[in-house]
Amino acid sequence: MGGKVTCTLGEVKQRADFIVYWGGNPAECHPRHFTKYTIMQKSKFLPRGRKDRTMVLVDIRETKSAKAADIFLQVKPGKDFELITILRAMIKDQHVTDEQIAVTGLSREVLDDLVGRMKGAKFGCMFFGMGLSMTRGKHMNSAALLTLAAEMNAFTKFVAMPMRGHGNVTGADVIMRWQTGFPFGITFNRGYPRYNPGEFSTVDVLVRGDCDAAFIIGADPGATMPQPAIEHLKRIPTIVLDPHVTHTSRLSRVHITTAPQGIAAPGTAYRMDEIPLPLKPPLKSPYPTDEQVVRRINEAIAAKPFWMPEGSQPQMLTAQV
Amino acid sequence: MLRITGGKVYDPANGIDGEVRDLAIDDHGRFVESVDGGRTIDATGMIVFPGGVDVHTHVAGGAINFARAMTPEDHRRTQAFIRTKSRRSGLGGMAPTTFATGYLYAGMGWTTVNEAAVPVLSARHTHEELADIPIVDKTSLTLMANNEIMLDQLEQGEYERAKQVVAWYLWAAKSYGVKAVNPGGVAAWKWGKDAKQLASPIEGYKKLTPGGIVTQLARICDDLGLPHPIHLHCNNLGAPGNIATTLDTLKHLEGSRAHIAHSQYHAYGGDGWDTMCSETAQLADYFNTHPNITTDAGAVLFGDTVTITADGPWQHLLYKLTGRKWGNLDVENETGCGIVPYTYRPSNLVNAVQWASGLELLLLIQNPWQVFLSTDHPNGGCFWRYPEIIKLLMSADFRKECTRKLPDKIKGKITLPEVDREYTLYEIAVSMSAGPAKALGLSHKGSLGIGCDADVVIYNQDDDPARMFGHPRYVIKGGEVVIEEGDILETPQGREFLVKPARDPDIDAFMRPRFEECYTMSFENYPVEMERIEHAEIRECISHAP
Repeated sequence: MGGKVTCTLGEVKQRADFIVYWGGNPAECHPRHFTKYTIMQKSKFLPRGRKDRTMVLVDIRETKSAKAADIFLQVKPGKDFELITILRAMIKDQHVTDEQIAVTGLSREVLDDLVGRMKGAKFGCMFFGMGLSMTRGKHMNSAALLTLAAEMNAFTKFVAMPMRGHGNVTGADVIMRWQTGFPFGITFNRGYPRYNPGEFSTVDVLVRGDCDAAFIIGADPGATMPQPAIEHLKRIPTIVLDPHVTHTSRLSRVHITTAPQGIAAPGTAYRMDEIPLPLKPPLKSPYPTDEQVVRRINEAIAAKPFWMPEGSQPQMLTAQV
Repeated sequence: MLRITGGKVYDPANGIDGEVRDLAIDDHGRFVESVDGGRTIDATGMIVFPGGVDVHTHVAGGAINFARAMTPEDHRRTQAFIRTKSRRSGLGGMAPTTFATGYLYAGMGWTTVNEAAVPVLSARHTHEELADIPIVDKTSLTLMANNEIMLDQLEQGEYERAKQVVAWYLWAAKSYGVKAVNPGGVAAWKWGKDAKQLASPIEGYKKLTPGGIVTQLARICDDLGLPHPIHLHCNNLGAPGNIATTLDTLKHLEGSRAHIAHSQYHAYGGDGWDTMCSETAQLADYFNTHPNITTDAGAVLFGDTVTITADGPWQHLLYKLTGRKWGNLDVENETGCGIVPYTYRPSNLVNAVQWASGLELLLLIQNPWQVFLSTDHPNGGCFWRYPEIIKLLMSADFRKECTRKLPDKIKGKITLPEVDREYTLYEIAVSMSAGPAKALGLSHKGSLGIGCDADVVIYNQDDDPARMFGHPRYVIKGGEVVIEEGDILETPQGREFLVKPARDPDIDAFMRPRFEECYTMSFENYPVEMERIEHAEIRECISHAP
């Protein structure tokens, strides 16, 4: 198990005749998703647009997105992993008991119909949101869904994609990967990148009180993180770069107002399918960009003594400990 | 300014085979007749080569970055680079991070690399990564053979228009040339299909065949005058019996220039995994009688790696065979991409055939100007293992010793045990530097001649080629000493070479409606802006039309 079978959004627009949204509410959270990329688009292969596509919504409650769906499947809260596992078995004609199905809150008829539609599709795509990836089971739910998509390729073309949000979080992922090998949860405290989500993720480092300074760009942990993490941010010198005064700004020692990305600052943003889009600012800002501020801080740091004693060389590690 | 004196010089581009010569480098980083002042490196007793050139590697962009994300378990156990004043931190391993990629290449004397597979849609990303690979100079190739807008033109018999479309895409991607991967097969994979027969129409098309794409795309590269010819990953990669497809493909290329990528993966006989054998002798024969085509070996080394390719259907098969992680990324209108971690084992008969086949091609193709050192990094093995291959090429005894560790059933499936040829240092210099530079059309690379870029690698003479080539004494990039006695001294920013083929001014108007139909970004935002390429240098196009 592992990996990710996916595509860019243009492939969904062009080909996907079967679309599943799982644990997400695009009608309210990604309002342009239906019209730009998925169910509403007409294409060379799907000339009748919405009529040529089937949309399934899987969620624990009937959100506004359910109105757009052909089929709404209300799964019992916390039973997504079970439901995905049952589907993985059913596509392979493996035996599943009625009791096992009952746990999910759905019926065998509904699931038989779903499996039939999945296998009958020419190109299926499953989008999953935080309702799957951030509820009970977390990353194991995501892994299970990605595996289901991979296994569906034994029958027909199938892909899956996370519905990412929050500005340019995908861009941060992409760049951390090429510079350090890892997407997040990285520490440099031995002079080279190491990775352990749950240990080196921002929230864990803050809650343990492991860091003695914090530098926050384009995020507002003061509004979203647990109280012990916020308490630590208050204790240490916290520096915030943001176009707005945020909750974090109020507890920080320094707030530097910067130009908003895409509006008054140029750059690149990575879409949820990891396609880089150039940002072309229409307005000018009296404030510096994040990049300008970071460069100036870097210059100031470069003028300080280096972290290793002058003249010494670090050892290259051929095997890490 | 720099002088290198007393070294034994191997410079195949100028026919110099181990003569003691002095080299002089000016302040612009080029070779000159002589200089006054500056540092002198006394290379007496040492071996002097032009810097290595990798004709086919995957070091930057969406695919390798996907592979990095998929293999954290490898990052944990691999070589780590600790930050110093001149060097940023990073990780080596199967899919090294960008900074480490530059240090590792330069660390073994390679100074130019060709990133061989770039979708235009994410070319902006690839260039950003290339800018983060220090020291080496770079080129990149654009994936074209499954681009549906281009295929539609070929289907309609609009060759001239197809040529214009290719020129438009190359400039949009700020690319150096054309890569073709499994022509038609990746487009078919968008429907879960493949294209294995050169003469059968492609899924979704009435007339167009893989053979038709191969012939016409090769001609387009020649007509546009690209410095590097079509860079072709043939159909039917990795499958037993695919030698027939490969030879058929080569026949479709007659009359054009061509570079066949990683031909080891395309030289198998047999009709199933049990009967798979090496057919490199047939393929080598073809190369030996057709001097206008080149190839790189795509050699396999035993051990762990991660396979990454635009060949989506092949990766689905590899996932089914191995049951390991599978990454797949289909790119709208253009191409696909697949990633599967893989371990080549000497005890595995298929892997043993692959290991032998790569070496056989390097040894059976007589002219080293036609076959170059590569592992199709990271597919057959990581680039930082090239010195191991050099040792296998230079020592028939070492090869025999390694062959003895293969399973008994290998008998009759490979020809390697019968090959006694040993590469000379001169031939190694052709295969790792002068040859690939020439094939890429980089006339200022792979040569120690006057006016060329002063990329030099100096080795201590050593009886063990793996040690010698793995640990150069000095590496000089553009006249700057970047490696000395195993230490990275300087990490200059390399250049990126690209082409601007001539194109019809009307092509924008032709592209716009087709583009808007199948893409999901705006037409204006699609081409990579020139100012985003760090240290760009546009290379000239000269028509190769017959």
